[in-house]
Amino acid sequence: MTDKLLIRYSYNIAANDFIAAGKGSSSIKNTLKSMGIDASTIRRIAIISYEAEINLVIHSYGGMLHCDLYENKIDIITEDKGPGIENIDLALTEGYSTATESVRELGFGAGMGLPNMKKYSDDFDIASSREGTFIKITVLLQEV
Amino acid sequence: MNFSIMLDKEKCKGCTNCMRRCPTQAIRLIDEKAFINNSKCIHCGECIKICPYDAYTPESIEWNEEMNYSPYKCKIAIISTPTYGQFPKGTSICNVQNSIKKLGFDFVYDASWSAELVSKAINRKINEVKDIRPFISTNCPATVRLIKSRYPSLMDNLIYIKEPMVIGAMLARERAKSIFNLKDEEIGVFYISPCPAKLLAVTDPIGDYHSSVDWVIPLNTIFGDLYREIKKDDISCSYPALNGLRWGVAGGQSESANLTNYISVHGMENIIHILDEIENGNLNNVDYVEALACVEGCVGGSFNVVNPYIAKNNIEYIIKNAGDNFNIEDLDKFDEMYDSGIFKFKLKAEDNPIKFNMKEAVIKNEKIMEINALLPGLDCGSCGAPTCYAHAEDVYNNQAELYDCIVLRAKNK
Repeated sequence: MTDKLLIRYSYNIAANDFIAAGKGSSSIKNTLKSMGIDASTIRRIAIISYEAEINLVIHSYGGMLHCDLYENKIDIITEDKGPGIENIDLALTEGYSTATESVRELGFGAGMGLPNMKKYSDDFDIASSREGTFIKITVLLQEV
Repeated sequence: MNFSIMLDKEKCKGCTNCMRRCPTQAIRLIDEKAFINNSKCIHCGECIKICPYDAYTPESIEWNEEMNYSPYKCKIAIISTPTYGQFPKGTSICNVQNSIKKLGFDFVYDASWSAELVSKAINRKINEVKDIRPFISTNCPATVRLIKSRYPSLMDNLIYIKEPMVIGAMLARERAKSIFNLKDEEIGVFYISPCPAKLLAVTDPIGDYHSSVDWVIPLNTIFGDLYREIKKDDISCSYPALNGLRWGVAGGQSESANLTNYISVHGMENIIHILDEIENGNLNNVDYVEALACVEGCVGGSFNVVNPYIAKNNIEYIIKNAGDNFNIEDLDKFDEMYDSGIFKFKLKAEDNPIKFNMKEAVIKNEKIMEINALLPGLDCGSCGAPTCYAHAEDVYNNQAELYDCIVLRAKNK
């Protein structure tokens, strides 16, 4: 039962587009809210999907943000076209950032993106090569 | 007291202004007249402010009768902080206070006094509780209700400190009890309000407490009486507390609470942006968010008389030129009051949440999206719903017909 995908919402995220940044995750959040999903799940998905989207904008050459809904869980997935994460362990360290000075001036790149995504997840998968990075973050729905 | 924002159907032209402005999409046009869904209304007063035909009025006139025929042996008026800002610069504070008394009150309590105490309570709680950031102010009832309906995940961020109106009413009541040796039911507390949200906060508080306020008087309904009295000379009075007086203006509660790392945001649209940022986890390094539904804060409430920027200027003038004419009440008792827990409150218990079923929710959402795809996406409001998506939802819920959309109708001719 749990592994049947009910629906996928997908958003194309462009690199370096700080004007559109946040629109995909905002749309995910609003859809889940109108569906009536519980507040604490919304909060976790909001943080995870926002960080995931901002990561695509700052660090990737562009990619896709997906939100997959299952009966008992929600997956947030990103797939990008590179350039890949050199050292995943380091990237998962709080405060470690490879963001440029100009990105930091915009208020991004504090080195909390991946650590926060992992912190609020129930399951966190990451794979990266120069061709691209794949991240899957799972949030289990609370039993009401 | 039963309050709602009333619509004069004669004056309403069905123009869609209020419907598009409403931050919770609580308004629909039915038979070319606005209709407020009370379960969605957060009493922010945006509809009152934007209506070009003045069709909305606060329905709270019964307080007049209550004043004349009431069983109260002692009547107390609580003066809200924006009140003094409504009068021309240089108007004496004592004149304002005494003209309010002349409406039939035994004494007045200035909300700036309780605001000063509440400021201290906010400061104390922020310093004591470090694992919640940012705290969000619970002073503006419209903001709190906006969070409850659109940002429920932020309910844990609310600071849950009672607003100055509530603390003031409590203290004034205690004072009347001890001075005049009266019982609770013999005392009537009337709050002079700058906005309709305070009415809702009295009749249906979000907290698990009974509000000590009995009646709420819209400031604009008594302004004429006050203004006429003001020209006469008066002698003395109890001056407001200056830091507390800042509460009338946006940013004032944070300044009054001596905070340095805060965000003061006002106006519904701006608040929504900041709440999104908090929800995305971007403001965890900020101590306090003072979010007020009205532009420039409570001076922007729809029951005020003068323009919010002028009222703000007037209040700043009073503060700067007060000299020795200020008064702080009960500050020596603050620690005792704080420790006794009178400032804090908990949420009122709600009904059990409905069991969530993802499969059903997805199917429902898909059906609404299918209907939405048929609509032109102009958000023109002509169908009677604020957006095409809202119309799609209404159609799904059998509350509207698809062909209420005039664009669809024109195309199919």
